[in-house]
Amino acid sequence: MNNETKTLKEIITPSNKEVIVIAEQLNNDVRPVTVELLGAGRDLANKLGGKLSCVLLGYELKSLPEKLISYGADIVYVADDPVLKNYQTLPYRRVIVDFLSGFPLPPHIVLLGSTTTGRDLAPRIAAHFETGLTADCTELDIGPYEHTSKGDPEKLGLYPGCLYAIRPSFGESLKARILGPWKNPQMASVRPGIMVPLQPDNNRKGEIKKIPVSLKPEDYKIELIEIVHEVSKSVNLSEADVIVSGGFGIGKPEGFEIMKELASCFENSAVGASRKIVDIGWVPYQHQVGQTGKTVRPKVYIACGISGAIQHRVGMSKSGLIIAINKDPDAPIFKFAHHGIVGDLYQIIPELIKEFKLNKAKEVRSLV
Amino acid sequence: MANIKDIFVLIKQVPDQGAKAGINPDGTIDRAKAKRMLNPFDRYALQAALHMKKKYGGNVTAITMGPPLAVEILLEALEHGVDMCYLLTDKRLAASDTLATAYALHKVIKHAGHFDLIFCGLQTTDGDTAQVGPQIAERLNLSQATYCEDFKIEENKVIAKRVVEGGYEWIKMEPPALITVANSYHPLEYKSLRGARMVQQLLRNESEKAKYIKTINLDDISADPLKCGLKGSPTIVARTDKVSEIGGNCKIYQGAPVEKMVHELIVSTNVSEFLKT
Repeated sequence: MNNETKTLKEIITPSNKEVIVIAEQLNNDVRPVTVELLGAGRDLANKLGGKLSCVLLGYELKSLPEKLISYGADIVYVADDPVLKNYQTLPYRRVIVDFLSGFPLPPHIVLLGSTTTGRDLAPRIAAHFETGLTADCTELDIGPYEHTSKGDPEKLGLYPGCLYAIRPSFGESLKARILGPWKNPQMASVRPGIMVPLQPDNNRKGEIKKIPVSLKPEDYKIELIEIVHEVSKSVNLSEADVIVSGGFGIGKPEGFEIMKELASCFENSAVGASRKIVDIGWVPYQHQVGQTGKTVRPKVYIACGISGAIQHRVGMSKSGLIIAINKDPDAPIFKFAHHGIVGDLYQIIPELIKEFKLNKAKEVRSLV
Repeated sequence: MANIKDIFVLIKQVPDQGAKAGINPDGTIDRAKAKRMLNPFDRYALQAALHMKKKYGGNVTAITMGPPLAVEILLEALEHGVDMCYLLTDKRLAASDTLATAYALHKVIKHAGHFDLIFCGLQTTDGDTAQVGPQIAERLNLSQATYCEDFKIEENKVIAKRVVEGGYEWIKMEPPALITVANSYHPLEYKSLRGARMVQQLLRNESEKAKYIKTINLDDISADPLKCGLKGSPTIVARTDKVSEIGGNCKIYQGAPVEKMVHELIVSTNVSEFLKT
C-alpha cells in the first residue's frame, strides 16, 4: 500500500513531439535570435526524439527557408504574403494561431525570441491557447517533473519530457526553473544573444511546406504607418569596442558626463547604464545594458558604480575584458569582473582618463 | 474632439528590491515583510493615462489586483489625479501566473464598464515578463501596441510610436486598444495638490473612500475560480537555484593610492593592445 502511494502515476500530455521556432526576419534576412533558437531547439528536439521546425512569415522570402534548414530545422513552414512583409501583431497572430490549431496533436514546444516582436506576439498566442509561457529564458532543457503539491491534487503525477524554462528571477541572485507540462505546446521566449547557433550546413536536408494565410477583417484594425531605422552614433552599444557604463554608484545624473569623457579616450566607444539609473530618469533608455536593455559584447567593458545585479550581468558578461570600479569591496560585480578597483570612482576615473590619454600620446609619438 | 474618453490604467504593487527588508538569505522575497512600492514601470503608464485626460478630457480608472494592502498604490494613483479605482482582492488568486492574472484582470475590466484605451506598464520588476498586457488584449480581442513611447489621437484613432530594435515604428489603430508604455516615456509628474488633499479626506472617511476605491472579489466579477490562482496557472516555479558565481578570479586593486592602483591596472590590462586583437 505504502509503496503504491509513493509511486506517482506517469502522465503523458498529448503532443506530436515537435519543437517549433517562430522565426523573425527583417530586410530579407533572419534575425540572429532565430538561428540561436534553432541551436537551442535542435538540442530539445533531439532529447524529445521529435522534429525541429521553424515557422517563417514574411514576403518574398526567397532562400530564407533553406538558410533555416542549414541552421538545423527539419521542416520550415512558410507563409509568404505581401500583408506579412513587416511584423504586425494581428496578421501574424492570426496566421500562427491558425497554423498551430491545424495539428491533430499539438506541438510539444513553441519558442520565440524575447525581442520587441516576440514579446508582443508570444503572450497573445499563449493566451489564445490558454497554455503556459515563460518569458525571457536564458537556459532551456528537457527533463522529468514530479508534481507532488497537495494544493493541486488533480495534477499529481510524474511528467516526462517537460520543457525546463530557466530564467533569472527575483532580481539579484536566483534562477527559476519554470515549467508547465499539463498542456502543450509549452511556450517560452528566449533572450537574444545567449543561445549558441549551430554551424550552418548547406548539405542538411529538410522539408519546406507552405502554410495558408487567411486573414479576417478584424485583423486589419492596426495599420503600420512608418518604420524608421535609427543608427544613432552616440548610442551604438551593440557595435562598440569599448563601453563605459554607469550605475547608481555615480550618485547624481551629472556623473554621466565623466563616463562620456572616459569613453571618449577610445575610438568606437559608447556609454552604457544600469537599469536603476534609467528607471529614475538620469539617463535615457537607449543607454541601458542588461536584461531589459541591450545585451552587449564589447572588447572592453568598464563598469563604474554598478553593483552587478544579475539583470545587468546577463547583458554584459560576455564582454572580452571587464573592469569594475566600485567603492563596495563586496559588490557582486567583483565576482565576475576580470579587474576591479575598490574606491571612489570620482577619484579613479580622472586618473584613468589621464593614463589612457598619456598612453595614446605615447603611441602617437612612437609612430612619428 | 476625440471620443476617446474612458481610460483604464493597470498597475501593480511590487516588493522594493532595493530595500533590504523582506529579502530572505536565499534571495527569495518575503512579501509580507518586504517594503512595497508601485511597480516602477507602471509610473509611465499612469503618466500616459493622465496625459490623455489632460489633453483630451475624460476619466482615468486605475485597476489593480493584489492583497488588501495594495490599496496603497491606488491611493497613490488618486493623489496623482486618477478618478476611480478598482482593487481585486481574493485569496483564490494566490499563486496566479501571467495567464491566470490576465484572466482575472480581463474580468475586472469587463466589470468596470466602457473603456476606449487601456494603459499598462511595460512589465513589472518582480516578474519581468511583459506578458500580462498582451494576454489581456487577447482575451478582450483588442488592438495592441507594446513598447510605446509616444501616442496621440487623430480622428478617433490612436497613433502610437513603438520602440523596436534599431529604431521605431508608428502604428495607427482603432480603439478599444491596449498600450504598454516604454520607460522612455515621460516620468510620472508630482502628485497634484487637489489629489493629495482628497486622499487625506478619504483616509478619514471609510465610506467616502469606498466610493473612489471599489474593492471586489472573484464573485463580484463572475470570474471562474478554476481559471484563477494556482489552479488556473499553467506554469509553476518548479525550483529556484542561487546563481552560481562565475569567474571568481577578479584581480582586485584595493587600499593603495589611486594613482598607483590605476597605473597597475593599466599596465596589467594593457587595454590598447587588447583592443587591437
